[in-house]
Amino acid sequence: MSDVVIRTAGLIKDYATGSRRIRALDGLDLEIQRGEVFGFLGPNGAGKSTMIRILLDQLRPTDGHAEVLGSDPREGGPALRARLGYLPGELALTGRATAGDLLRHLSRLRGGTGAEAIPALAERLSLDLDRPIRGLSKGNKQKVGVLQAFMHGPELLILDEPTSGLDPLLQHEFLTMVREAQAGGATVFMSSHVLSEVELIAERVAIVRAGRIVDLDDVAALRHHAGQRVELHFAEAVPADAFSGLEGISNVEVADHRMTCLLRGEPDPLLKAAARYHVTRWSAEDRELEDLFLDHYRTPLGGESEQEASPDGR
Amino acid sequence: MAADVTTSTPAKTSSEAVRGLPRGLPAFRWVVRMRRRALLGWGLAVGVVSAIYVSFYPTMGDAGELESLIEGMPDGLVSALGYDTIGTAAGYLESTVYGLLAPILMLVFALGFAARVLAGEEEDGSLELETAAPISRVRSLSERYLALVVGIVWLGVVTGAVTLGLVPALAMEVGTAELAATTLGLTVFTTALASVTFAVGAATGRRVVALATGAGLAVAGYIANALASLMDDGAWLERLSPFAWYLGNEPLRNGLSLGGMAALLGLTIVCLVAAVVTFDRRDLGV
Repeated sequence: MSDVVIRTAGLIKDYATGSRRIRALDGLDLEIQRGEVFGFLGPNGAGKSTMIRILLDQLRPTDGHAEVLGSDPREGGPALRARLGYLPGELALTGRATAGDLLRHLSRLRGGTGAEAIPALAERLSLDLDRPIRGLSKGNKQKVGVLQAFMHGPELLILDEPTSGLDPLLQHEFLTMVREAQAGGATVFMSSHVLSEVELIAERVAIVRAGRIVDLDDVAALRHHAGQRVELHFAEAVPADAFSGLEGISNVEVADHRMTCLLRGEPDPLLKAAARYHVTRWSAEDRELEDLFLDHYRTPLGGESEQEASPDGR
Repeated sequence: MAADVTTSTPAKTSSEAVRGLPRGLPAFRWVVRMRRRALLGWGLAVGVVSAIYVSFYPTMGDAGELESLIEGMPDGLVSALGYDTIGTAAGYLESTVYGLLAPILMLVFALGFAARVLAGEEEDGSLELETAAPISRVRSLSERYLALVVGIVWLGVVTGAVTLGLVPALAMEVGTAELAATTLGLTVFTTALASVTFAVGAATGRRVVALATGAGLAVAGYIANALASLMDDGAWLERLSPFAWYLGNEPLRNGLSLGGMAALLGLTIVCLVAAVVTFDRRDLGV
């Protein structure tokens, strides 16, 4: 059996909206290995859900090829989907039925597998199974979604924005569930538009923009690319050239007593330079993923040809 | 889990393949369960309205009020409404319960259900977890279509039970066989128009488009049938109307028109095939 769990090659998906055609995926190539936790990152509209819904055979690719657990999603059909757990990005849960009723129904759609796991998982996620679905908050609906994705112990979990709506405590519980699934041999493919959601758990991360992978790396390398935004306040005015040109430091801006810069790599050179002055306050923030995208528009960080694509980008 | 797979014997692999696949009719059961209040409510409405209209017959018929009412109406209108035979029990039932009220109630129920049960649920996202589950699209569609047909048959059974119960009790001169046949015809007619709605929904994924198509066809069919009876040479127009396929032979007196039933069943089958083919091919939830 192949150790590649998800493979896409040149995946293209066009949507027709009225007379216009919109290209949601523009030649997406990806390989995900058995047993890894893979983060699929991109802003809304980058094509994440489109890619995921092709893997589930809800959408059919315009061109290119997708393979899940060794079969084409369409050929694989129900037998393939029996081995998957899926959490939709936009979970629509309505109706008078209780959460427990819906979950038992979803288990029946899987021949009863997973039904025995429902009470324990509900307990873990503090989900009240007796409450009607339509009265549930967004967070509680998300718990139902997470639960039904995990309950049957699937080989491959495909999770579209899994932590949206979950409070921090439950995000923690969710991450534990992902680690347990991984320890049990499962592969986890999760999308997000926030790097911090996946960096704790994913080993590798792909960044998708406009239907293409623009960066694919392990999390540490990506974090290095993203860098930190450092802000230092001084007791006296400082000259800008005291900091410019330091290793790993860029975008230095000095305004009177305040210096901001972008730090990639070790902070040591910056700290040594700053120590020559009287530092009154400091902060260092991991940058948001959105900043990383901006880098992808502006500078060829990964050495890719993104720069040529950028002028008409935005 | 990976270890399980590598150690499976071929025999175990085949049982593994069955594991995780649904048995029975889970989607059908779920739809019926979710719609059970609506099904009961519509059953009650159809039953009560049918009962009221059947019960009106003796009072109106006896007093000759109907006939005097009809005499005051223009001939064209009378024949358009099918009231030219309203003085007889069969004519009365054909122009009230079977020709107007039950079809309208059943169509409102059935077209709404047909548009919602697949396209509507796809559109609002409720279908997404089902299509991601190990159930084929064709099976999902078929189970939902079955729920639709069961709903229509249920209303047909209610209508039939009310008329078959009341007609002898009120000593109306309508044959039991004709009543049963006409009830069957009503059910087949409603199923055909619901199938058109269902198929448009399956092909487009748009509830409103499906509903508008089904309702448009019903209204056009009704108008065509009414106009045809006014025209000297309206037979060709009548042949185009699903209403005429159902009622054209005056089934409470003469039994169902076989040609008409064949047309309704043919339309149903064509729609079901089209629904399966289009739903299986296209993108879902876009």
